[in-house]
Amino acid sequence: MSAPPDILLDGRELEPPGPMELVLAALDDLQPGQRIRFLIHRQPYPLYDILRRHHYHYETTTLSSGDFEILISRP
Amino acid sequence: MTPTAGLSLEQAPPWSVPLRFFLTAPWFLVLAALLILWQGPAVFASRWLPATLALTHLLTLGFMAQVMLGALLQMLPVVVGVVVARPRWVAALIHIPLTVGTLVLALAFLTSSPAGFRIAFFLLGLAFTIALAAFHLALWRAPVISGTVIAMRCALVALLVTVGLGLWLGGFFGWGWPISVVTVTDLHAIWGLIGWTVLLVAGVAYQVVPMFQMTPAYPPQFVRFFALLMMLLLAGWSLCLWLEWAGGIRLFALGLATSIAVFAASTLYLLTQRRRKIGDPTLLYWRISMGSLLVAVALWVSTRIMPTWAQAPQIELLLGILLIMGFAVTVINGMLYKIVPFLAWFHLQAALLGRAKVPNMKQLLPDVKAQRQGWTYLAALWLLLAAVLVPEVFTYPAGIALGVTGGWLGVNMVQVALIYRRLLRTVSVAG
Repeated sequence: MSAPPDILLDGRELEPPGPMELVLAALDDLQPGQRIRFLIHRQPYPLYDILRRHHYHYETTTLSSGDFEILISRP
Repeated sequence: MTPTAGLSLEQAPPWSVPLRFFLTAPWFLVLAALLILWQGPAVFASRWLPATLALTHLLTLGFMAQVMLGALLQMLPVVVGVVVARPRWVAALIHIPLTVGTLVLALAFLTSSPAGFRIAFFLLGLAFTIALAAFHLALWRAPVISGTVIAMRCALVALLVTVGLGLWLGGFFGWGWPISVVTVTDLHAIWGLIGWTVLLVAGVAYQVVPMFQMTPAYPPQFVRFFALLMMLLLAGWSLCLWLEWAGGIRLFALGLATSIAVFAASTLYLLTQRRRKIGDPTLLYWRISMGSLLVAVALWVSTRIMPTWAQAPQIELLLGILLIMGFAVTVINGMLYKIVPFLAWFHLQAALLGRAKVPNMKQLLPDVKAQRQGWTYLAALWLLLAAVLVPEVFTYPAGIALGVTGGWLGVNMVQVALIYRRLLRTVSVAG
């Protein structure tokens, strides 16, 4: 059985803290093995802080557009 | 790529670290207002009067520096990705001597007390030494050299110069050190208002104007060179002032005025390019702030064209009120409405994720509260400017308006802090 598809969230056009609210709301629905693919136009340091405190795994990639893609999965 | 590569990801400082500064600062506006009401119209006679100097420092140290230093403790980890070590200790060791030192300095001016100046010298010297050491250590290790980092570094060098000159003046008042007071005071004021304040606001604006107002970014060349250019012009201007070379002073001052006008006009232009059409209260604060900066520049340029005009004591007071109240206090007041609810929301999210629903930022501090305080703020600004021109009519209304708006801001801040505490307590009791 394959893992459920990634949840895609685009925070690039939202006023803060809209992007973070999107991610935090999606964390509740995240299944084991599933990932959140979060697009954002800047490094979301405060989000990293919350993710670390709650032991979520995340990985950041800089896209060629200058935006960032953050892959988040459950602890 | 792992998220830790090249980035320091220690935790953001605790809520109490910036909050203690933000809860204290508004009450210095109230103290400034009480001083105006106590002294009456005489306070607007000249910038050199002891009461006027006390008033100036209640605003610049008590309100401006208080929030600026508190916000830097918060912003460095979030915006720049660097950490200030032992944030609670650093915050206390800046906040307490800064608060007490400002009060003592104001009293020292009012009573012409050398002992007061000596105590203020040590207290403010301590607060700023710790602040400068902590911030310089953090900023010069910043992993990413952005326009904001460059501007903040320049602002902190300017703060170092401002504080050094301020302490030197403290030595004059406290111990009678032989210095040329007028020149050093002018240097102190310009490095503080144009160096430290304009550059810090610019560095923060590069981030928060596009982020919160949904505007395009500042032009990259501007972001890269504005702060460095300003520092060169300030250094050139200072040298010419010291050497009493009038032509050089005029040239460098004109360069400074032009650069500042370009920054203010660019910001106002960006604000017309907002993608989000619904206004928010901080938009008005940014417009008033940048508008005041432009008017200050225009007023200053007009004094160069009409030298007789420059002799009037009102001009210097108008410039001071435009720069301190119109530009700096306005933008700081506006930013507090973004920073404080955001931090409360953020720390509640971090603490309560998955356990309780966190109210959103608008529930923590409704726009209408910020707006109402904003109108009293605008009234205070106009009345202060009017009080310089017609002191006998406008001094008392200006004092009352300043007191009302400062107290209102303070109450709005305290209310967010109280909601925060109540929510955490409810959840910990329930859990």
